[in-house]
Amino acid sequence: MLNSAPAATAPVLDVRNLALRFKDTPANIVDGISFSVREGETLCIVGESGCGKSVTALALMGLLPRSVARVTSGTAMFGGSDLLTLPQRAMADIRGNTISMIFQEPMTSLNPSYRIGEQIGEVVLRHKRVTRAQARQRALEMLDRVRIPAAASRLDDYPHELSGGMRQRVMIAMALANDPALLIADEPTTALDVTIQAQIVDLIEELQKETGTALIMITHDLGVVAEIADRVSVMYAGHIVEEGPVEAIFDDPQHPYTIGLMSSVPSIGPRSGRLATIGGLVPTIDRMPSGCRFSPRCPFVQADCLKAHAPLSTFGPEHRAACYFAPLETVFAEAAS
Amino acid sequence: MSLRTPETIIETQAVTKRFSGSRGLFRPATFVSAVNAVSLKIRRGETFSIVGESGCGKSTLARLLVRLLHPSEGAVLYQGTDISSLSETDMRRLRKDLQFVFQDPFSSLNPRMTVGALIEEPMKVHTSLSRPERRQNVAELLRKVGLRPAFSNRYPHEFSGGQRQRIGIARALASGPKVIVGDEPVSALDVSVQAQVINLLEDLKAEFDLTLVLIAHDLAVIRHMSDRIAVMYLGEVVELAPNEALYNEPLHPYTQALMQAIPIASPHGRSMDAALTGDVPSPLAPPAGCRFHPRCPHASSLCSTEKPELTETGTDRMIACHHWEKFAGNAQTHLREPPRSANAEKRFTLFRERCQQQEPTTADNP
Repeated sequence: MLNSAPAATAPVLDVRNLALRFKDTPANIVDGISFSVREGETLCIVGESGCGKSVTALALMGLLPRSVARVTSGTAMFGGSDLLTLPQRAMADIRGNTISMIFQEPMTSLNPSYRIGEQIGEVVLRHKRVTRAQARQRALEMLDRVRIPAAASRLDDYPHELSGGMRQRVMIAMALANDPALLIADEPTTALDVTIQAQIVDLIEELQKETGTALIMITHDLGVVAEIADRVSVMYAGHIVEEGPVEAIFDDPQHPYTIGLMSSVPSIGPRSGRLATIGGLVPTIDRMPSGCRFSPRCPFVQADCLKAHAPLSTFGPEHRAACYFAPLETVFAEAAS
Repeated sequence: MSLRTPETIIETQAVTKRFSGSRGLFRPATFVSAVNAVSLKIRRGETFSIVGESGCGKSTLARLLVRLLHPSEGAVLYQGTDISSLSETDMRRLRKDLQFVFQDPFSSLNPRMTVGALIEEPMKVHTSLSRPERRQNVAELLRKVGLRPAFSNRYPHEFSGGQRQRIGIARALASGPKVIVGDEPVSALDVSVQAQVINLLEDLKAEFDLTLVLIAHDLAVIRHMSDRIAVMYLGEVVELAPNEALYNEPLHPYTQALMQAIPIASPHGRSMDAALTGDVPSPLAPPAGCRFHPRCPHASSLCSTEKPELTETGTDRMIACHHWEKFAGNAQTHLREPPRSANAEKRFTLFRERCQQQEPTTADNP
């Protein structure tokens, strides 16, 4: 949130029309999505399991093996080059350097047999011309910056000696060690307890303010979204169904899926009857509905929805939703009463 | 819930469960008290929730309640009978009444059994129903949990997480239980599916006149479902209160911190607050005195030496803290969820009405 009027700055990452398909499947798992993120800005990609949010992140990082999935269309412009077509070697120079990633499970993403100081130092040694001693010094600085108490004495710890929250701090230290222009965080707090989650979210926000890095946060937790996002993209079954500034998404949700998702979250206020639910299930890749992919579960579905999926139309500054019938009350108000 | 004096269905009396930790050749065995002298009473017909962070002993306590684990000390009473000292044969008879729903719907169903066989099994063990009667019950139960009776010939792997959780619930209902203990029954599910299962549990509870014990870490889910709530920290209950009271006015500093850390799904809400620093200490070496004192913002020297007992505060609440009266009002206002905008409210209502018009929520095709 460094720049409150960021329209002028060019995006750090600009993804256009990205489509991905798993091997031997009949439909795209990610089907033509576009989003961008600017310096100092936080974009949250929200969706349930299987909507394609994590695959998107892996594709951007060049971590999707070609034997498993391939990019069927699209570009992802970052610093003048297209991440989707860069050769492996060039990608390896970017990963951990100008783009880094934090994963959900901090235990499995740290190497259990190396001390954490070495693991953070390794990232620096790989990308910067520094000595081992300087790398170690940088690791120490980073541990300090992620507020690990008595950082110097922790440098030589192994990951198993740390708690879940501490490990996630180490992951963040490692991700930020080379001052990346873009940080992708995939459900970084999902495995953590609430009190620890609050600490980590605070930390990510603070560090982002300090460094001005662009942040893409992938999450399913609308509470975390409300806390940290500048802009939000809501994904359902490989499509972005709605996108916009965080206030617009929460105060003026347009797509039936966004509305259904928000109303299925139990409130922490006084109980207000049964939860609204979205009937049915997320479609599997071999049975993707034609037209709008949400149509089989949508309580507002009409014949048009089955023909072709609606393009994103504009509802406010940077606020777009892919539904033919939004705003819903203008079309369905009478039927409801 | 009712005006009659609440009847206790399960009671724990200073129940303790110790697990032995690492034992080396030259090292004495160490013990973790996962649950430490917990006494509480669960009332017939209520939804009683146990909340706490990982490692606080909530799942261990849940297993003690239905004797999936034996207590190391203390007793667990079911309708006045001490189940911790029953023989296996006698216990088997009681298992009919006490059923368990597990967190992970992927590992708690035998992959080699069909859904029908899974749900039928408890009836074979606990009832004298004939085969056709059992089959009919299976179909009925599948319908009750929102699945098609035709699914009984399929195998668990053919179903999604939410559907498997429904199968787990049908299986738990099969013996006609009085109490169902759910260990994080919805936490592995996506939000939209989670809401379906929450509604299902509430409907079934009313229909079958169940007592529900829920273990959860999601404070919003607990808020939505519970009548009374016990908050656990490092193996001990630190606060026990009715739902409204706990959320409106949490008294224990730990409960207050938990409430402050809940992310609120509104960009106009108060920001998530990391009220606590540091991590939960290792249960291998729990702090002396009050186990929460190293992280407590209000701790005094008394707290580090003397352990506060869980005591009645009047008004149906219990708390284990030396100083709660001094800062009882601290966290009152933290949990007001800001009102929704008119547009959002309008569409939420529309969505809800529209869903109700159509059909009751069923989980369709696998």
